[in-house]
Amino acid sequence: VSKIFQVALGILAAIGGFVDIGDIVFNVAAGATFGYQLIWVVAIGVVGIIVYSEMCGRVAAVGKRAVFDAIRERMGFGVGLGALIASEIVNFMTLAAEVGGIAIALQLLSGLPYRALILLAAVVLAVVVWVAPFEWIERIFGYGGLCLLVFAVGALKLHPNWGGFGHGWVPHVPDSGNLLVYGYFVVGLLGAAMTPYEVYFYSSGGIEERWQPADLGLNRANSIIGYGLGGFLSIALMIVSAELFLPEGVDPSTLGTVALGAEIPLGQAGLFLALLGILFAVGGAAIDTCLAGAYNLAQFFGWEWGKYRRPAQAPRFTISWAVLLVLAMAVIMSGIDAVMLTEFAVIFSVVALPLTYIPILLVANDKIYMGRYANGRLANTLGLVYLVVILFVSLTAIPFMILSHMGQG
Amino acid sequence: MSELDLVLGLLDHQIVDCEGRRCGNVDDLEIEGGPGDTPVVTAILVGPAAWRERGWLGRLASRLGGGKMVRVPWDAVAEVKSGIELSKTASELGLGKGDDRAAQWVEKVPGA
Repeated sequence: VSKIFQVALGILAAIGGFVDIGDIVFNVAAGATFGYQLIWVVAIGVVGIIVYSEMCGRVAAVGKRAVFDAIRERMGFGVGLGALIASEIVNFMTLAAEVGGIAIALQLLSGLPYRALILLAAVVLAVVVWVAPFEWIERIFGYGGLCLLVFAVGALKLHPNWGGFGHGWVPHVPDSGNLLVYGYFVVGLLGAAMTPYEVYFYSSGGIEERWQPADLGLNRANSIIGYGLGGFLSIALMIVSAELFLPEGVDPSTLGTVALGAEIPLGQAGLFLALLGILFAVGGAAIDTCLAGAYNLAQFFGWEWGKYRRPAQAPRFTISWAVLLVLAMAVIMSGIDAVMLTEFAVIFSVVALPLTYIPILLVANDKIYMGRYANGRLANTLGLVYLVVILFVSLTAIPFMILSHMGQG
Repeated sequence: MSELDLVLGLLDHQIVDCEGRRCGNVDDLEIEGGPGDTPVVTAILVGPAAWRERGWLGRLASRLGGGKMVRVPWDAVAEVKSGIELSKTASELGLGKGDDRAAQWVEKVPGA
């Protein structure tokens, strides 16, 4: 029974780790612009994050190494340091965007001033990370994030066009519409689904929870079902947006508009649950990114790290996450638009993807580390296919962003 | 070990002391043996001064990080797994000083 319980918890955690402000922004914008036509991209992205997080979890359970250990071991100090700087920058942008997202959700719920709520959000996050054990952080935000299921109910109530929905699963180029904008959304949706902080956090989490080879089944279940459900929620957001915003020509550039997607079909209760779901999903992602930034630094430089240590036993790790959180609060306080920052963070993180995913694939293949748990044929085939996908999106992300004027056409 | 094995198996790996404390990464290796001899690793080098030989970013980081380096004699290595396990504590070998200094600050916060 405790195994089932653990799987359930892990799945919840994976949902929290998957659906963040980047997924919300890109899926809703994609639905409002191209209807169901981009569902296939979400599907590809979800399988990609499953393939690579399963590898990361396996490396953590068997080799006892997290992603940035692998990056430094395989890429060396110089290239590894480059990867560290790039990933810390995009990770920080994502963190600031998530903190802004929390404040927006709180403002829509309470009506209090935005800047005061940014401060409140940062203080609450700091207290939670300081006080709560790792497992509880995952649980609180995972459960809360389930409120997003309200969008799946909303999608059904809107009686989607199932023919168009089915067609959306088939990769295709649209007959009409701006192809550069379509390309921008392809890259953005893949980037949002495979954001690197997810694997930094997932792999370090495996070590926090002291996974052993016996936990590999748990790892597989968590990654497949958890990220699968995250993808399900993303597609629900896209459907709601396609039904409500596309026909009206609405550009859902605020989180308030996103929440309307649950209010119109389901009323006040829908709106409340949607905002609560956004609050917890984005809050969980803020903690994930904040800790991921500190995990990466500590692993690269060899410092002691982990929430399973007392804060003073992993002091530089503790200082790192605290400083990242304070800086993120300051950046978002300065008045930068959180949704805009999210788009930049997702697109730039796509550029940093190969430096994260190539070392994972190499280490998961290493027989010395992994013994009989090294990648099998399925993991390697998928890993290589996704490496091609990742290289393609990382090379095209910035050109698409510039040529499509960030999806504005 | 061949040179490739040394690089893959030791360089840039995590160092863990005999109490399970993480206390740095292998930043460089001290290797002895002339041409024709079998090279022998005599020590592990840890700290910013050892980054100088690690590419231009390493040189820059070394300058910013100050000139400190700790030499851990190979005798102090108990086992090489995915990490390098030592037979002594970090403080006996002069490792983990950065964390020790930072701990003095963090300890002042309640609940640390």
